[in-house]
Amino acid sequence: MNIYSYTFRRLLYVIPVVLGVSLIIFVLFNLVAGDPTAILLGKHASASQMAELRHELGLDRPWLAQYFDVVRSAFTFDFGRSWSTKQEIFEMIKAGAIPSLTLSFPAFFLSTVLAIIVSLFVSFYRGGVVDRLVVFVCVALMSISSLAYILFGQWFLAYYLGLFEISGYESGFPYFIPYVLLPIIIWMVLSVGPDVRFYRTVVLDEIYQDYVRTARSKGLSERVILFKHVLKNAMIPIITYVLIKIPFLILGALLLESFFSIPGLGSITLNAINGSDFPVIKAMTILSSIAYILFSVFTDVMYCLVDPRVRLK
Amino acid sequence: MADKILDVKDLVVQFNTDRGVVTAVDGVSLEVFKGRTLGIVGESGSGKSVTALAIMRLIPHPPGIIKNGVVKFRGESLLDKEMVDMRKIRGNKISMIFQEPMTSLNPVFTIGNQIEEVLELHQSDLSKEQRHKKAVEMLSLVGIPSPEKRIKEYPHQLSGGMRQRVMIAISLACEPDILIADEPTTALDVTIQAQILELMKKLQKELGMGIIMITHDLGVVAETCDDVAVMYCGKIVEQGTADHIFNNPRHPYTKGLLESIPSFDATTGDAKDRLPTIEGMVPSLFELPEGCSFQDRCSKCISQCRQPQEVLALKEVATGHAVSCFNHY
Amino acid sequence: MSSANAPQMSKSLWRHALDSLKKDRYAMIALAVVLLYTLIALLSSIGVLGANWSQEVGASYAAPDMNNIFGTDIFGRSVLEKTIKGTEVAMSVGLVVALIAIAIGVVVGAIAGYFGGLIDELIVWFYTTFSSIPGIMLLVAITLIMGKGIIAVYLALGLTSWVQLARLIRGEVIKHKDREYVQAASAIGSSHFRKLFIHIIPNVMHIVIINFSLQFQFAIKSEVILSYLGLGVQGQPSWGTMIDDAKLELARGVWWQLAAATFAMFGVVLAFNILGDALRDALDPKLKGK
Repeated sequence: MNIYSYTFRRLLYVIPVVLGVSLIIFVLFNLVAGDPTAILLGKHASASQMAELRHELGLDRPWLAQYFDVVRSAFTFDFGRSWSTKQEIFEMIKAGAIPSLTLSFPAFFLSTVLAIIVSLFVSFYRGGVVDRLVVFVCVALMSISSLAYILFGQWFLAYYLGLFEISGYESGFPYFIPYVLLPIIIWMVLSVGPDVRFYRTVVLDEIYQDYVRTARSKGLSERVILFKHVLKNAMIPIITYVLIKIPFLILGALLLESFFSIPGLGSITLNAINGSDFPVIKAMTILSSIAYILFSVFTDVMYCLVDPRVRLK
Repeated sequence: MADKILDVKDLVVQFNTDRGVVTAVDGVSLEVFKGRTLGIVGESGSGKSVTALAIMRLIPHPPGIIKNGVVKFRGESLLDKEMVDMRKIRGNKISMIFQEPMTSLNPVFTIGNQIEEVLELHQSDLSKEQRHKKAVEMLSLVGIPSPEKRIKEYPHQLSGGMRQRVMIAISLACEPDILIADEPTTALDVTIQAQILELMKKLQKELGMGIIMITHDLGVVAETCDDVAVMYCGKIVEQGTADHIFNNPRHPYTKGLLESIPSFDATTGDAKDRLPTIEGMVPSLFELPEGCSFQDRCSKCISQCRQPQEVLALKEVATGHAVSCFNHY
Repeated sequence: MSSANAPQMSKSLWRHALDSLKKDRYAMIALAVVLLYTLIALLSSIGVLGANWSQEVGASYAAPDMNNIFGTDIFGRSVLEKTIKGTEVAMSVGLVVALIAIAIGVVVGAIAGYFGGLIDELIVWFYTTFSSIPGIMLLVAITLIMGKGIIAVYLALGLTSWVQLARLIRGEVIKHKDREYVQAASAIGSSHFRKLFIHIIPNVMHIVIINFSLQFQFAIKSEVILSYLGLGVQGQPSWGTMIDDAKLELARGVWWQLAAATFAMFGVVLAFNILGDALRDALDPKLKGK
């Protein structure tokens, strides 16, 4: 079996998972979430008003038809219109994607690079004071609520010290940069703890392998051993870890976008949650699920390509 | 006698552990000669591997530390060398192969890459093509069929015996003066074991290096070694030529080891009635008894053996044959 | 025989783990911190501590002083009392959520791993599907169904955080089910249930224990996000609602409610993190000696 047929087989598995995701979404939002018309129209709506709205929204159609609507939207990306803004959801997503990416892409890239550098550095001095200090700082950073970071950063750094924009967004390069700087910094602080811990564990797992002892006995320097032998082995779990996080960028940084008024996908999602805008919630859920599944296929395929030991059967 | 290339004197290696300091190697002295093989025999935990790693200065620090001793390689003191200079010795003048052929090679580099790496490091005057040619030569020297093809393969594509051959190719690529082999055949099938030992003997004849053969298997010693040191709890208890050790063992521990080798009568095919064993267990290095470490398992133990103030040291009982036992004082 | 080896070798993994934990000074401090929070939560739940959280003790937004060392909130209530009362919510959320997640994760993972075949494929399909849906969307959906309140918080967090444990348990059970001790149990005619729950599960308990401390702190942290989404605990103070309140307070310079809740949370989450690491080092033989 070659890599192409393997990829194809893995892609086939996407179909039952998408059907499953559609089923869960359908069950949660169409069957059991309660009558959305009551939320949309408020407490004082009459029964006939509610029935009319239900008809308008297609909620009186048979369950199977409603389920197929969900499945169809997963393949056509035709999610219908938002209940609250009446816009085409696909257009909303297109508009929100760019602001989200201007925040999440640089933040993700910078935090990953930073975490890998820090973890290689502490692995080199493993067991020493610096290593233990960094590990402790990572755990301590992870022990603070993400909301607290955002609140404090926005209030202290942006409002009190005036170092950054408090909130808002302007589209187009380079105008958006001042608005995403502080969110990027907060993102890095939020992710450096778990990332460094993960990468450090990966690198240390490799450092105690027998092949490292062989490399030392060949006369290689610690630097070459770490950057050539260890890093190439560690890259396998690192690539997996990085790739599998990418689909989560789709939802953007939900909290960061909403606090800093960045009109991205995260803000769209949060507004939909607050306004019980089911079509938008469903669309965002389907979209991020599909991204997650596709990336897990991509990760598996990459894994086969990077690791010579993996044999396809 | 032949050319002495390695001279170890009073080597002491300690490890700091949660439970305190242990002395894994306690005053070991050894000599290695050109073209000869020295066997270091002992049970696991006797300090034989630590001795080898200490010679290479590969003791992980912390927790390990070389507390005392002199290691002279062709007259140069290895323990006083800067790490930069020590690295020029490793893999070049003194090489090492390990017990675990399955994991000792880096899984994500081709075997050619791993042989060429050591050449690139120590023989930097070779061009890329020359390194490749040499790597192929080494593979064919260690008996790997179709080396031109194999050189592009990854370790997982090779069997354990083949991987150990690759390890030998790596370690001999720079034609070292000493090869330290730490249980090189323990993880292999018996037939493969014999092939690897044969290969090492053949290469020793061709290249003339000294070998330190670390093993718990007296069969391996009998087959390959010229000189033998028997270790117990970090100390050498008996040292001599293979002939001394096998035909005239003097230390009760050596005798016990030899008696516990299974053998059968070649004429009848019957196993010996009952295999004698050494009673008891190796004491923990944390709780070594005062006096001789072997006292609790020794049938010849006398009161002197239990005296903490008595100094027990290797004592020559014949030319080139030394024993550390009060029964011979 | 004077050898000390015999008792040491017969010492079980658990005994050994306990010994190494006892020697870990940081783990012991962390454990003490966890016990202290538990005590505060218990005392608060029986009304000894934090009972006066709803009483007005000063002016609105009074800064910390000698009377109210953490200041007061918008209604003049003591932030200290609220923080203490919030401990009760936090510890109960941590405990209940961890227990729900572990119960589901262990049962689902064990059944998938033990029976294999179609059952395994179905379960793996289900949790692959489930885990591909962003957690926050599931949280929202579950609270939409359940309504608001602490029960909804328990269920929403508990029902969404079992997948990782189920994966781990499945993998371990697959490793264990063909081992000799399980075959021996089969040989004496043990039922599937007996083999799985009496023989295999105790051998994967270390994973559960490590996971417990991770789940516990994760739940405490997640409660804040739920509060921010307006889906948190109602009718009694929680650290989440206190932190969430700060989004309106900070601009007025009122930092003490944020500080008190963040600090209280930091202490217990850090303790669980340290304890979790120490448990992993002590119980996971793969990582031993590193």
